[in-house]
Amino acid sequence: MNQDSLYEQAAQTYGASLDRLARAYEFDAEARRDLLQEIHLHIWRSFAQFDGRCSVRTWLYRVAHNVATGHVIRQRRIRSRLVSIEDIEIMPADDQSERDAGQAQALERLSMLIQRLKPLDRQIIVSYLEGMDASSIAEITGFTPANIAMKVHRIKNVLKRWFGAGGSYAE
Amino acid sequence: MPSEFPINDPRNVWQHQPTEAYKMSVNELRHKAQQRHSRARFEALYQITIGLVLSAFFAWSFTRAHQGFPRFGLGVLSLWGLFAAWQAYRWIWPDKLKPDETVSTSLEFYRKELEKQRDYSIHVWRRAGLTFCFLGLAMIVVPELIHALAAPRLLLNVMPVLVLLAVWVAIFIPKRKRNLRKLQQEIDGLRLFERENPS
Repeated sequence: MNQDSLYEQAAQTYGASLDRLARAYEFDAEARRDLLQEIHLHIWRSFAQFDGRCSVRTWLYRVAHNVATGHVIRQRRIRSRLVSIEDIEIMPADDQSERDAGQAQALERLSMLIQRLKPLDRQIIVSYLEGMDASSIAEITGFTPANIAMKVHRIKNVLKRWFGAGGSYAE
Repeated sequence: MPSEFPINDPRNVWQHQPTEAYKMSVNELRHKAQQRHSRARFEALYQITIGLVLSAFFAWSFTRAHQGFPRFGLGVLSLWGLFAAWQAYRWIWPDKLKPDETVSTSLEFYRKELEKQRDYSIHVWRRAGLTFCFLGLAMIVVPELIHALAAPRLLLNVMPVLVLLAVWVAIFIPKRKRNLRKLQQEIDGLRLFERENPS
């Protein structure tokens, strides 16, 4: 398959997922659209080098996360305030009175949590929320599956505290 | 409309958020890539032109100056203009850009981005040839300042600017050092992690 058809197929399959990924890195709607465009452009360009050593999905997420990470790194003021998942784990959870307020509020809380994280932890939580397993996340990020499993365990703890027990997030 | 999935399940909340159907056609992408390439080339040309124009201007001033020190300073500034043009060609010219690094693993990409930022902060002075620039300017300005010592009123007038400059330097340098130290700590942490956990 050539670069163009690879891109077209990938955009068709993962378009919504890429949109969600951009939301994890940029709150502002206009800036997010620019970021999404940037992600698509990089993905299309990168497919010229695609050698099939990993799956299209891994390749695409790797490029998308890296472009978005570059976007966060360039915003120095924001970057200096970001924390790791380990830091969030020991922080008190936000006010949980809105826990059951509705999907929109739940999504807002989740977005707030994600946007406080450092880029690498953000990649892991987003991949986890997208339903990927530890080995897929490890392939994208370059961490070992054991590291990812540990991070995911922490992420689950944090999510449990922020969203309460229940749901299907237990693996 | 009632929610069809439990809202205390973050995975469901995340995956069922409303998304925009965003897709660019291949022609649009190609056009965008060309546009970007042209813009990068224009920016490089712009910087090269500025360097060459400055060099020509200082060279012209050099031929017209008579006093030894300022003349030498103008010569240095003319050379600095050439250096700046060459640096713009070397670092900004789009054909010289490195191959796409976004295909590397996130860990490696993140570390390299931090290293780039650190290197930029450390080498920006050398890369822009600011030593030559300030040396040339000092050669022009210092003799004038020495003359001004004969008229203290002039020095008093300049004093607020000098004080502001000193305050800025006193704040800027420690802040820059602190940021660089934090950046280096993060890079070292990532390097150590990569060494201990080869993927």
